[in-house]
Amino acid sequence: MNNKVKAWLEDGTIDVFLGYKEVDHHPLPYCFTKERLDEVDDLLLSPARYSLEKIATHMTDEEPDIKIGMLARDCNSRALNVLYLWNQLNPDNVRTVNVNCCPSRLKEHGDCSYLEPETVGAYKRRVGVDNNLALKDVEAYDETERLDRWMYEFQKCIKCYGCRNICPVCFCKECSLEHDELVRTGPLLPDVPVFHMVRAVHMAGRCIDCGLCEAACPMDIPLRLLYQKVNQIVMDLFDYKTGTSVEQPPFSILGDTVTLEPKPIEPLKVINNE
Amino acid sequence: MECKLVPSVCSYCGTGCGVLFEVINGKIVSTLPMKTHPVNEGKLCIKGWNLHEHVNSFMRLKQPLVKTFGRFIKTDWDEAIQLTADRFREIIEKYGPDSIGVLVSAKITNEENYLAQKFARAAIGTNNVDHCARL
Repeated sequence: MNNKVKAWLEDGTIDVFLGYKEVDHHPLPYCFTKERLDEVDDLLLSPARYSLEKIATHMTDEEPDIKIGMLARDCNSRALNVLYLWNQLNPDNVRTVNVNCCPSRLKEHGDCSYLEPETVGAYKRRVGVDNNLALKDVEAYDETERLDRWMYEFQKCIKCYGCRNICPVCFCKECSLEHDELVRTGPLLPDVPVFHMVRAVHMAGRCIDCGLCEAACPMDIPLRLLYQKVNQIVMDLFDYKTGTSVEQPPFSILGDTVTLEPKPIEPLKVINNE
Repeated sequence: MECKLVPSVCSYCGTGCGVLFEVINGKIVSTLPMKTHPVNEGKLCIKGWNLHEHVNSFMRLKQPLVKTFGRFIKTDWDEAIQLTADRFREIIEKYGPDSIGVLVSAKITNEENYLAQKFARAAIGTNNVDHCARL
């Protein structure tokens, strides 16, 4: 891997390479360059995940033509696909080195250990939503109970905006979460559940289920489950699989053409009042 | 293109969360929580998330201001320090050293706090030292 990166840097295939390096005993994201080629020997596959593609987006903002190489786990690749679709990165300017993924329900063996949430306490299991549950288990709660459980989770929010800030596919210059008519500046609690619902709606067809938001949430709100649900709806309605589909997502920036067709709607069952 | 990720400690309160500054071409563009930091374990509050904004803010004071005839006038550090020292001396001579108190802060380092209390006790000659965490 190191030799490949070195070769790429030397022959100018890429200008910079985003990987990990140990700095002050912490595995931190690091930007390798041609000028300091020897440092590539210290390239790490860190167990801690950072959103490298977000750093790449910031670099592209500064220099649009810069050629970036980066380590890519599955979640990074999915995020890159979404960023290509939304014209935030140019696929011609990005080269990836694919590396092993995090252990999770999807893949048991991996290098990254930060995806699986910790075991949750007894109180949260009783009144809240267990972060480890599968989507269908949460939907198995009856309606009132489900609402109560979710509201318990939402009212814990300290409105740190961490979920949005860390999100690799959140790039909008103007964010609805800072729109005064939707989410007011100042009050805590945030407008529950408007804050989370606004974000959830915007994650439909965008969330790549990397789990960084949930890992960054100081209150352990099961955000992944919430966004899995909205993506499930997009999947059911449009057959759109976020991160792997190559078409524009159904929710699009004004002016962009949407090519997706909704799946044929099943005829409504006629309810007989008698 | 110069891109660095600089580990640091959040300066907003005494907790000491590990943060990572994303510095692109010499400008801090964003703040990230440090995943492996023992204090915050990859989480931050809203103040920590926005550390870079107060560094880049156009309202940030970059040089000392001295209030002259009711208005703040820009000056250099030498003059500002001299002026402060002169006024301190005047006040101490007139009202005694206990007329001055030093408030230290959770936002500065242990060493700076030590220096501040040393300054209060040795240079000014008072035991009036207190800390923002007690306010």
